[in-house]
Amino acid sequence: MRKMNHRQLPAFALSIMKSLNLMIILYLTGITMHSLSGYIHEGSALYFVMKVKHIPVEPWKMPVLSIGMFLCLLLLFSIPCKHNIQLLCKAAVELSVAFVISLSLNFSYTGIVLLIIADTMSYFSNMKQRILLVASICMVYLLLDYDLLSVRYPIISIEDCWGYYNSHVQSVLLGIRNILDSLNTLVFIIYAIVLILTEMQEKERVLGLNEKLHMANEELREANLKLEEYARESEKAAETRERNRLAREIHDTLGHSLTGIITGIDACVMLMDIAPEATKEQLKAIADVARQGVKDVRRSVKALRPDTLETMDLKSALIQLLEETKRSTSVQIDYQIQAKLKDFNKDEEDIIYRIIQESITNAIRHGKAKKIWVQIEREYNILKIHVKDNGTGCSHIQKGFGLHHMKERLDMLNGTLSYHGEDGFTVDARIPIRWGTEGEND
Amino acid sequence: MDQGTKKRTAIQIGLLGSLLFGIWMIASDRYQYLPWVYEDVIKIGVFSDSYWEVQNGYSYQILDDAIAQFEEQHPDVRVEYVSGIMKEDYSEWLAGEMMKGTGPDVFFVLSEYFNDFAEAGILKDLTSFIEEDADFSSEKYYASAYEDGAYEGTQYALPYECAPKLMFINKSILTAEGIAMPDSNWTWEDFYRICQAVTKDTDGDGTINQFGTVGYTWEDAFDSNGVCLFDEKGTECYLTDSKVTAAISFMERMEELNSGYSVSRKEFALGNVAFQPMLFSEYRAYKSYPLSIKKYAGFEWDCLTMPAGPDGENISRLDTLSIAMNASSVHTADAWELMKYLTGDVGIQSEIFDYSEGVSVLKEVVESEQTQKFLTEYTENKNMLNLQILSKAVEQAVVIPHFHDYEDAISEVDKAIRVILEGNSNLNMETIIQNRNINNYLKSKQ
Repeated sequence: MRKMNHRQLPAFALSIMKSLNLMIILYLTGITMHSLSGYIHEGSALYFVMKVKHIPVEPWKMPVLSIGMFLCLLLLFSIPCKHNIQLLCKAAVELSVAFVISLSLNFSYTGIVLLIIADTMSYFSNMKQRILLVASICMVYLLLDYDLLSVRYPIISIEDCWGYYNSHVQSVLLGIRNILDSLNTLVFIIYAIVLILTEMQEKERVLGLNEKLHMANEELREANLKLEEYARESEKAAETRERNRLAREIHDTLGHSLTGIITGIDACVMLMDIAPEATKEQLKAIADVARQGVKDVRRSVKALRPDTLETMDLKSALIQLLEETKRSTSVQIDYQIQAKLKDFNKDEEDIIYRIIQESITNAIRHGKAKKIWVQIEREYNILKIHVKDNGTGCSHIQKGFGLHHMKERLDMLNGTLSYHGEDGFTVDARIPIRWGTEGEND
Repeated sequence: MDQGTKKRTAIQIGLLGSLLFGIWMIASDRYQYLPWVYEDVIKIGVFSDSYWEVQNGYSYQILDDAIAQFEEQHPDVRVEYVSGIMKEDYSEWLAGEMMKGTGPDVFFVLSEYFNDFAEAGILKDLTSFIEEDADFSSEKYYASAYEDGAYEGTQYALPYECAPKLMFINKSILTAEGIAMPDSNWTWEDFYRICQAVTKDTDGDGTINQFGTVGYTWEDAFDSNGVCLFDEKGTECYLTDSKVTAAISFMERMEELNSGYSVSRKEFALGNVAFQPMLFSEYRAYKSYPLSIKKYAGFEWDCLTMPAGPDGENISRLDTLSIAMNASSVHTADAWELMKYLTGDVGIQSEIFDYSEGVSVLKEVVESEQTQKFLTEYTENKNMLNLQILSKAVEQAVVIPHFHDYEDAISEVDKAIRVILEGNSNLNMETIIQNRNINNYLKSKQ
């Protein structure tokens, strides 16, 4: 008992009830069988028949029928039920079986119905349905009464059946039957209490778990709120940092240059009439400072402006680069981008962008070209970049800084670079595509 | 539900079905039809001595003849009976066998237990056999004997042999008193007149020592005055009927004759009583040579029909030995054939006059020339008991109603009549009171 889980208790009580019922059936049929055989052997069969006005079932049949029917009942208990309709049907069949058992015991024992109630109770978790079904079975239990049924059916009372024994023995035997019957009722009550208690505990446990879950949820929500606040604060801090940086940048570059320019101009105002030549020199120096300042500002602005590649994909970035160059330089640029340029990693994107940028810069700066053709296409898993211009070109290609850089970068991607300077300048780059071969080949 | 559970449930339901079927087979006794259990043997329940309490040494003769002939006609059926059971043990034996479930398929029913057995459900309801069997006709039986096999309107038995109640007359007393023998149409008044004349103190010791009648009961008076005491179902008693009061008045008058002296049956055997009602079977038994010496040797005697009341006839009740079928027999068709054969075959029924003391239940047999010849051998005075009288006595015999607790109801009536006869109050008032009591009793028994 001690080792048993409290949730197994109802099942344990139920099995005790089953054994007890079998015992009662065996007891009643055994005594009745002995008593009836006694009547026959003693020669008082006629007296018995005249008294009860009925022929009981053959003595051997009584235990066979009642125990057979009890086995049927146990078998019925073991059949699982899923739907209410099934359960209702099962309960009806069980009740009929119980009726037959009680009939074969001459309605001297009807506690079998309690066993059915106990079994049926274990199926329902819905209290309302349970009460309804159990109440209706209880009705049947109440109606299964010897005195009530003997009016309608010819039944021999157990007292008549056991009349073979003298009154003392008979009262002891009946007493034992009553004790067994009460014991069955008692076990049933214990079963019902244990079942309900177990269910209440189960409900409490579920409620406790629910509570915990609710608390965890609450904590999570609070944490989330804090996180949001932290994100907002952190955004604010980044903004502040950026402002500080801007202020420092302005102070360092523009502030420095402007200070120099103001000082220089003040000197020029003083010098202008005394030494115009020196003033000129001074102004030149100031112009240099101003130019340097502009340069610094540009550099700062450039550093502040995010890279086009950061904000858009490679293709859009290239298109923007080419269109902007066209607009700012009045060089005609024809471009065709026939390959999808997605799925490159950051390095590759960077290198592709730089190659095109460098080639165009070279064509404009060194070749003085008026027209540039740019073509990007894919051949199997090789990306081909072709940049050509109608500039001066050069017969002897000096490996300038730009081409060398390009070569170095392409080497890193196992790509190749070729160029020639006849009829303008042509750059051809071939880059192997690493992101799979399953792509398109158009 | 997964496949495994489904399969398991199917097996469980199959097992349950077969178990229930097996139980049903046992409970309904259908297992007895199983080829390895079935036995084509019809068992007959019978007692070894005569129903009429006369030892004649021919107890199984008629049955053996019937079985031999029946088995000849039905070669696939065997008929058996357990011999050696005495009549007084017979009903106990039968009840025991019924309780054990080994009761005979066809058995004789003693009339005193017929009601109880019918009520206990031991006897098979014969209605369907009677209705479906074109060969069967209840017309050939004496209606009174046939109706004796009915309980609460349902036929449970067929009559085998019967005996009407007749009035035994001590002819010696009548001759000594100079009284002429009454004829078979005599009445209560004739009866009373003769009784009054013979009741006297012959030896002059101051007490009456010669009596009119012994054993004449209120039932005899009721039967011969056309009294119908209960309705068919035994729910109402008609004790206030004028025929009943007439019969009770007659009984009062008869009792007054003896001046309070109670007459025992022994007095008739000693030759001191003029009349005693007896069964026809007793007449047959003691009229023949060896037994007539043993009993009633000291006087001349004969028998006559019962005296008729003002509203009745010269009739009495019939004692009938019936044959019934076991309600749980599995050989019903053969059992029915056998019952029909035992009760309805002219050859077998004729043997009743040879080997038994009763009367055949077939009109055809009783009224045959053979029977006439047979009876003549017994009767010295051919005018006394001829065939027509016997046949009439059987045919018109009073049918005793069979209903739930008939015996108890009769003992209630008996008690009531005792109270009325012993009391001195107004007869009509008393019958009304007693009738109410009996009706209350009947109601309580429903």
